[in-house]
Amino acid sequence: MTLSLEIAPRVARVSGKGQRWAEARTGGLLALPAALYFLVFWLVPFVSAVYLSFTSYDLAGTPEWTGLANYRRMLADPGFWNSAKVTAVYTVASVVPSIVLGLALAVPLSKPGRYNAFLRALIMIPAAMPLVASSMTWSVIFADKGLANTLIGLAGAEPKPWLTDEGLALWALVIMTTWKHLGLFVIILTAGLQGLPPAVFEAAALDGAGPVRIFSRITLPLLRRTLLFVLVIAVVGAMQSFVPAFLLTKGGPAGATEVLPLYLWATGFTFERMGYASAIAMVLLVAMLALSLAQFRVLRGGDDA
Amino acid sequence: MKVVLTLVVAVMLLPVYAMIAVSSASDANDLGGLTFDVSQLGAHVAQLFGQGGFPLYLRNSLVLALGVAVLEVILSGAAGYALAQLRFPGSRALFAVIVGTLSLSPIVVLVPMYLVVKALGWIDTFQGMIVPFMMSAFGVFLVRQFALALPRELLLSARVDGAGELRIFARIGVPLLRPALLTLFLLQFLAQWDSLLWPLIVANDPGLWPLPVGLSQLQTEYDFSIGLVSTAALITAVPPLALMFLLQRYYVAGLTLGGLRK
Repeated sequence: MTLSLEIAPRVARVSGKGQRWAEARTGGLLALPAALYFLVFWLVPFVSAVYLSFTSYDLAGTPEWTGLANYRRMLADPGFWNSAKVTAVYTVASVVPSIVLGLALAVPLSKPGRYNAFLRALIMIPAAMPLVASSMTWSVIFADKGLANTLIGLAGAEPKPWLTDEGLALWALVIMTTWKHLGLFVIILTAGLQGLPPAVFEAAALDGAGPVRIFSRITLPLLRRTLLFVLVIAVVGAMQSFVPAFLLTKGGPAGATEVLPLYLWATGFTFERMGYASAIAMVLLVAMLALSLAQFRVLRGGDDA
Repeated sequence: MKVVLTLVVAVMLLPVYAMIAVSSASDANDLGGLTFDVSQLGAHVAQLFGQGGFPLYLRNSLVLALGVAVLEVILSGAAGYALAQLRFPGSRALFAVIVGTLSLSPIVVLVPMYLVVKALGWIDTFQGMIVPFMMSAFGVFLVRQFALALPRELLLSARVDGAGELRIFARIGVPLLRPALLTLFLLQFLAQWDSLLWPLIVANDPGLWPLPVGLSQLQTEYDFSIGLVSTAALITAVPPLALMFLLQRYYVAGLTLGGLRK
């Protein structure tokens, strides 16, 4: 009766076989669907994807082991290299501005106040809109007589074929993606900023540090964890992005917007080269993991923050 | 500062307004104009709902998004609670698999996942669209994090009082986990409402197409005016936006979770 609450659970756990059996039975029961699900829909597919990437398989018959043939073929495949390049450009060009702008907006918007809360709610609207609805909206905006050309017309520029010009189409996707993600990053960064200890900022202000110094020496280092999270979801999200390229440009013109997921999908499901598509998936996975790890390394700066 | 921020937000909302304006445009050429005509918007809505395709896509999307979200809450909720609060054989292995899966993207397992669904005979079925996404590593992980923080004294006293483990889960665990479960419901509903790639692969039958697939087809049909397509996009945007505003607290909590928690 006088057991402290700290050790009581442990005592209760070891108190009897009946209790342990009841726990195991209920735990097993509650977790069984999850065990089956992750086995059938993730573990088996993942192992199969690794295996298939070393085979040739077109859905008819059985997969035929071809060793490294898919990977060798990838090295010599201009379609793959084009997609890899498009994905790299798309990722860097959409992630950098959305994080920089996101941080620039989050710092003032994180200050308390009704009006700021109102603006934060509004800025979320693009992020909360379905990606499909956003993509269709932007396909109308980028149309010949759409809003984009009306606006640059007001500035005195000639209308541009945004989605059908090889040099412009990818940038149209970048603009749309930045617009779509900005609000999300603002909200995450705002929450991170609001979670920082105010005492540190008060002390710095008392010591006479200016806003720039406070931002670079205090805000940024303290916000590292949140920045890392935003960076990882932004990069991994951009590398997996399929819908905007599919809906706005179908990968065209001339492959200018053929991002890797689109190339993978076409390889597997239009041309039914399942083995080759799996090899592309493996390369994409390794690239995503490597980039995530590199970001952890860089932003952690060696310590265990 | 206030003016600059307001201006930035206004620019960000311009495309949303453009969508509404174009939905109400009668002339397909009038895309840059920002005038608004309620009666034309009404006509577009009536035309969309009068057609075979659109109401069907809407229904399919509701079935898909609600099906996945409800199953996710039940199954990930149960598994997350079990992994946090109960000891059972294989729990470590299961947790290891789930953590490993966190870094896997559907695009990586797209081909073999299709082969699994095909082997199950689920091509062109709702279960083929729903079951492969009815749980998520993120969901189990999120619930587990919440469940780890449940007050142990409360669960213990229920045990001392002789409540069965299942009863403790249902009567104490579930109510206390409600914020996590609501967050999960919302995030999964939104994710599935947007799902294009997977239905594109497993649903060849237009009768099963959810909105994203249906709309991507509408866009290319020649008899569809841009105003009508914009109206369809607008209607598609309403349920997620309404849900977000209703459950904003949870939405933001879910989005910011990964950045704030250890």
